[in-house]
Amino acid sequence: MDSDHRVGDLVRQLVHHLQNTSSSNPNPEDVNYAIRILSSRMTPPSQAADEANSIKSRLAKQSKLSHALTFADLYSKFASQTGPGSVINKQSLLYLLKVISEDRVTNPHPKSRTDSCYSLLKNGGVLNIVRDPNNTVVRDFARLVSEESDVLEKDLVSDVLSVCEGIHGKYVKFDEMLDSYVLSESIKVSKGMRIMVLKLCELGWLFRKVNRYVCDDIGENVGKSFRVGLQDEVVEYRKLLTVLQSQSLNLSLRRLAVWFVEPMVKMRRMALLVDSCKDLKGGALAGEIHLHAQHGDPLLHEFMKLLLLKVSSPVFEMVRSWVMQGNLQDLHSEFFVSEQSVKPELLWKEGYQINYLMLPSFISKSLATRVLRTGKSINFLKVCCEDHSWADLAPSRGLGYGETNALESLVTEAEKRIDKHLMHAIFNRYKFKDHCLAIKRFILLGQGDFVQYLMEIVGPVLAEPAKTISLIHLSGLVEKAILSSGAQYDDRDILDRIKVKMMPRGVKDRGWDVFHLDYDIRVPLNTVFTESVMGSYLRVFSFLWKIRRVEHAVLGAWKTMKPNLISCHFFTNYPKAVGLQIVSTSRKCQLLWDKMNNFVMSLQAYIMFEVLEVTWAKFCNEMEASKDLDDLIAAHEKYLVTIVEKSLLGETSEALYKALLMLFDVILRFTSVADRLYEFRTRNTTTSKTKDAKTSKSKGLETDSWLNEGRKAVTQRAGEFLSIIGQDLDAVSKEYSSVLKGFISQLPTQRHVDLKFLMFRLDFTEFYYKLAA
Amino acid sequence: MDQDAARTARESLELVFQMSNILDTGLDRQTLSVLIALCDLGVNPEALAAVVKEFRRDPPITSSTPSSN
Repeated sequence: MDSDHRVGDLVRQLVHHLQNTSSSNPNPEDVNYAIRILSSRMTPPSQAADEANSIKSRLAKQSKLSHALTFADLYSKFASQTGPGSVINKQSLLYLLKVISEDRVTNPHPKSRTDSCYSLLKNGGVLNIVRDPNNTVVRDFARLVSEESDVLEKDLVSDVLSVCEGIHGKYVKFDEMLDSYVLSESIKVSKGMRIMVLKLCELGWLFRKVNRYVCDDIGENVGKSFRVGLQDEVVEYRKLLTVLQSQSLNLSLRRLAVWFVEPMVKMRRMALLVDSCKDLKGGALAGEIHLHAQHGDPLLHEFMKLLLLKVSSPVFEMVRSWVMQGNLQDLHSEFFVSEQSVKPELLWKEGYQINYLMLPSFISKSLATRVLRTGKSINFLKVCCEDHSWADLAPSRGLGYGETNALESLVTEAEKRIDKHLMHAIFNRYKFKDHCLAIKRFILLGQGDFVQYLMEIVGPVLAEPAKTISLIHLSGLVEKAILSSGAQYDDRDILDRIKVKMMPRGVKDRGWDVFHLDYDIRVPLNTVFTESVMGSYLRVFSFLWKIRRVEHAVLGAWKTMKPNLISCHFFTNYPKAVGLQIVSTSRKCQLLWDKMNNFVMSLQAYIMFEVLEVTWAKFCNEMEASKDLDDLIAAHEKYLVTIVEKSLLGETSEALYKALLMLFDVILRFTSVADRLYEFRTRNTTTSKTKDAKTSKSKGLETDSWLNEGRKAVTQRAGEFLSIIGQDLDAVSKEYSSVLKGFISQLPTQRHVDLKFLMFRLDFTEFYYKLAA
Repeated sequence: MDQDAARTARESLELVFQMSNILDTGLDRQTLSVLIALCDLGVNPEALAAVVKEFRRDPPITSSTPSSN
């Protein structure tokens, strides 16, 4: 009882002290409360036997070593005190102190609610939640943070999600001027949250851009497929957003940020693509996207690959249909082959061209040229040859992006097939080689007997003025010539094509100037033998014809000059002086003839052997070796150009050509002089013969009246005539040698290597060279 | 003898007071003496500590009205 009373008293005192109130008496309720606490735990706790040591170690742990030492000191003094007045339950007292001090540490004197939280944090933020059974501290902190913002985080999250789908949020709106999403300043949100929200709204901005492009419906194939690819991605993205939306109660802004990482990357890339491809279309669009796909990141690479697969499929499809069927259905001009409608002759050269702008970068230029050629060949076969038998055995496999190898092999295989077919058609059905040969024989005067005969019958006709000559008459003569030559056994089709062509006639033109032979070429061979090509052939023909004419004239002169019975008779009838004059004149004539003949023959031989035959052999080889029409056209052009250059018709040889023409003129003049001489001789001899025959009844032929005069007169007249002829011959000879000198001296300056052969032929003894030097 | 006991008691109190200061309990001499007495009487130290804690943290709900006694 006494002790109880005492306890009660003491408790009252304790409460009084603890409460620190000014009143002397503590509240009886408090006292009761205290007693209740005290009585609730009657069982003593398990105490460590050595509280002091535990306290010491705790102090040491708290790195208060000086304190620990002092404490040890004090305790030793304390523990040594025994006897009355000392503390009996030392251990329990120490335990009490320990507990109170621990308590003191963890629960310092509270001033206000917020202070409690801050002072919590002052301890390095380590919350002793174990000691806080009601989790009050965490709740306090949350309440503290949420006090700063008006808007709940949940609402912000759902706002961000709706922004990312393109719809306006409650708090976050799109500002047109700034071109971004803003959280208006009036809403009070903590700064961290504001920044976070704006970061997440970037996704919404990107999505907006991509969506706008996707919904823009411009219709052309590649662009459409690009949009479809983007649309697929957008659908995926929307799915993700709906899932997130349904989960939005559990989401915080930070978790949302984590979810958004991948879509952000993809959306950024899509927006980048949209920006760079805004104005492109067709193959250029595909090429641009391909350039963007060169990326190391595997995620992105996969994504771009899927997109590219879709985008490049229209391009590949177009290539395939072009290469297989020659079809070009290209409403929006997306394909890199562009078409123009032209006449059938020009189909090969100009009908189809590569549009390099639309060429995607994953198709190389050489592949593109091959594609072009294959499709061109098909169309050529279709249009010009009217051949439809190429459309067999075409494997129809789908092609995807990245299968450039497959595309290449497809193109190569189609190319081989079509080229072979085309070549076959051209050589066999249209007899290309035969026509080439025919041109060589007739236009390039390869068929010698035909040319000879033609020259003989056409020669007199052509000497007349051009106006009087009729085309039909000439055609008839040509036909006659053909039939009498070795060519009559040829294919009628070929012979039918040889036609006479008359150039536009001037007033002074003789038949020689306007006469031409032409070869009629029809589709499809006129792709090779175009107008300009036939024009070149015509030039070569006229040159060769001139040479032939000169040659013919020279040979004709020889016929008259060679010694024969008539001329022998001549000498016997004339006085010696005249005879001598005649002989000397004839000698001059013969010398000159010889020179000219040498020249003409050498020139002819050069043309024949060095120029025509050699180039023809080369061309034949190339023709055999050519794999497609482009090669063939190129080979033929080379052939023609070589001929033109070598026969002095090229641009660099113009001076030489003029000299040559002058020479021809001189030679023709000579032949006319020789003719006059011959005529003089034969006239005299024939008249003398007839005179012998009809001695008495000489009515006197009109032409030779002066022969009937006395001998002196004859000598005089003959002498005069012969001296005139002699002078003419001298003039011709001089002119001839000067022009020839000029011609030969110019030859070495020519660049073409083969003209040196001409020089060699003309001057192999270096006679003229020495003359010039 | 009484003076000895008193002296011992005083010294003990002094020592305990210094120890409690080291431990930073925030108790003054008077409170400490009462606690010592109660402890000696066999009161559970845990309970005593709880009482001290309770009355220190905030005023108990029962004493909402300022004591105007």
